[in-house]
Amino acid sequence: MSPPEHRIIAGIYHLSKDLGRHFSLTDINLQVTNGEFVFLVGPSGAGKSTLLRMMYMDDRPDSGQIVVGSFVSTRVTRRTIPGLRRKIGIVFQDFRLIEDRTVFENIALAMKVTGTPMSKIKQRATKILTHVGLYHKRHDFPKALSGGEQQRVAIARAVANRPAILLADEPTGNLDAVSTRNVLELLFKINAGGTAVLVATHDIEMVQSFGQRIIYLENGRIARDHEKIFVGDVRDRMDESRVSRRAEQLSEYDIRDEENE
Amino acid sequence: MNLRTAKYMIDEMMINLGRRKGANAIAVIIMGLSLLILVVFLMVTLNLANLIDKTGEEMRLFVYLEDGMEQDVTREMQLKLLGLRGIEEVSFISKGEALTEFKERLGEESDLLDELVENPLPDAFRVKTKRGYITSEFLASIAFETEKWEGVEEVRYGKKWFERGERLAKGIYIIDLALGLIIFLSVIFVIYNTVRLTVLHRRTTIDVMKLVGATNAFIRIPFILEGALQGIAASLLAIALLTAIYAFSSKYLPGLVFMRYDALAGFVVFCAILGAVGSFSAMRRFLKL
Repeated sequence: MSPPEHRIIAGIYHLSKDLGRHFSLTDINLQVTNGEFVFLVGPSGAGKSTLLRMMYMDDRPDSGQIVVGSFVSTRVTRRTIPGLRRKIGIVFQDFRLIEDRTVFENIALAMKVTGTPMSKIKQRATKILTHVGLYHKRHDFPKALSGGEQQRVAIARAVANRPAILLADEPTGNLDAVSTRNVLELLFKINAGGTAVLVATHDIEMVQSFGQRIIYLENGRIARDHEKIFVGDVRDRMDESRVSRRAEQLSEYDIRDEENE
Repeated sequence: MNLRTAKYMIDEMMINLGRRKGANAIAVIIMGLSLLILVVFLMVTLNLANLIDKTGEEMRLFVYLEDGMEQDVTREMQLKLLGLRGIEEVSFISKGEALTEFKERLGEESDLLDELVENPLPDAFRVKTKRGYITSEFLASIAFETEKWEGVEEVRYGKKWFERGERLAKGIYIIDLALGLIIFLSVIFVIYNTVRLTVLHRRTTIDVMKLVGATNAFIRIPFILEGALQGIAASLLAIALLTAIYAFSSKYLPGLVFMRYDALAGFVVFCAILGAVGSFSAMRRFLKL
C-alpha cells in the first residue's frame, strides 16, 4: 500500500488584513493538508473568526491569497462562491440552525441546494444522523434539543455534502463540559473518516492535551505552529485528557453559579 | 436550473409559508387593509368621474332662431348643425312646444302665462354634443360659429354655469390625483416594509443557505414567489372587503358603480409584482457579496 498522499486542501499565503481598532492580521501563512486536524488558538479578538471567514470567502484579505481546493480568493466571484462553500463545512459557536425546520430538514437543506435527489438525501441524512447519534431526534425542532445536540446537528449539516475540510469557529464555546467532550469526539471521528478539520478556539488549555497540530495566533501573527506530536487515535486519550478535568472544573463552576443566584 | 431544483425551491416556499402561519397571516392582513384603502379610493374616484361625466352629458346647447322662418330653411339649418364636428343630436323645438314645456315647468303658476297675447318664445334647436366634446372651449366655438349664421338670433348654453362646473371638476380631479398619489405611495411603502420584515425574519435561513453553498437564485426564488403570493392574497382580501363595502353602501347610493373586472385583475397582478419586487429588493441587501 502506498503512503497516503499529502495534498494541500487549504492554504493561506502572506495574508494581511486590517481588523480595525488597531488590530490586524499580518503575513499569515498556513497550509492544511488532507485529513489533517488543526487547532487554531488565540485570544478573543485575535482574528481567528475573520481568518476563517476569509477561508470560506465571506471576507477578503487586504493582501495575500487564500486557496481552497481550486478556488483562489483573488479570483473568486459571486457566481463561483457557492461552489466553494459546497467543498467546505462550516460550524459556528451559535450553531446557526434554522429554528422552524426539523433536524432532518436542516440537514436536508444543505443537500437540496446542491440538487441531490430526495432518495439520496434521505439515505445520507439517516447515515449522518446515526453517526452523530441523533437519528431518533430527526423530527425535532432545534429548540427542543440541548446545546450539544444542536451543535452535533450543525456538524452533521456541515459534513452532509462530504466537504474536503470542516471549519469550526469556537464550536464548543457555548457548551458545557460534557457536550464539549462529545462535540470534540465527533470532530475527531469525522477527521478519522478523512475530512480535514480546522478548529478555532481561544481555549488553549483544552486543546493542548490532544497532541494535534496547534497553530498559535498572537498579536496578529502566527507565533508558533506545533506539528502533531502524538500518533494514534486521539479518542483513546480523551478520558485522561484535560477535557475531563475541565469538565469537572466546569461542573463545579456551574454549581457555584447556581448557588450565587 | 433543472426540474428537481425548481421543485426544491417550491418546497422551500411551502415550508416558509407553512411554518409561520401566524406571521404570514398578519402580514397579509396588514397589506390587505392598506390595499383596501387604495381600492376604496379608486372606486370613489371612478364614481366621482362618472358623476362629473353624467353632469356634463346633461349639458345642452340652445340655438334660438329669428321669428318667422320657413320650415325648409330651419330643416336645412338642422342638417347643417348635424354636419358640424362633435354634434350628436339636434332636435327642433317649436315656439309652441317651448311654451308648453315652460308652462309645465311653472306648474300652478302657469296662469301667469295666460295673460300673454302671443307666444314670446322663439323656435329653437336643442343641440347635444358628443362625449369628449363637452368642454367650454368647444361649446364656445360652436356658439361663436353658429351665431354668425343667418336666421340665428342667439346661442346659449349656460356659459357661466358650465365654466364654473368645469373648474370645479378640474379642482376635484387635482385633489383626487394628489390624494391618490399619497395613498399609492404609502400603500407601496407598507407593502414593501411588510415584505421586508418577512425577509428580515428569515435572516438566519438566508445566511445558512449561503453557507451551505446555495446559489443566489436558489435563495431568492422561493422568497420572491412567497412575496408574490402574499401580494396576491392581500389583494384578494382587499377586493373581498371592497365588495362587502360596495354591497353595503349601494343600498344608500343606488347609482354606485363597482370596479371593472379587468381593472381588478390588473390590480391583483400589480400586487403580485409589488410583493415580488419588495422581496427581491429586501434580499439584495443580504445576498450581496
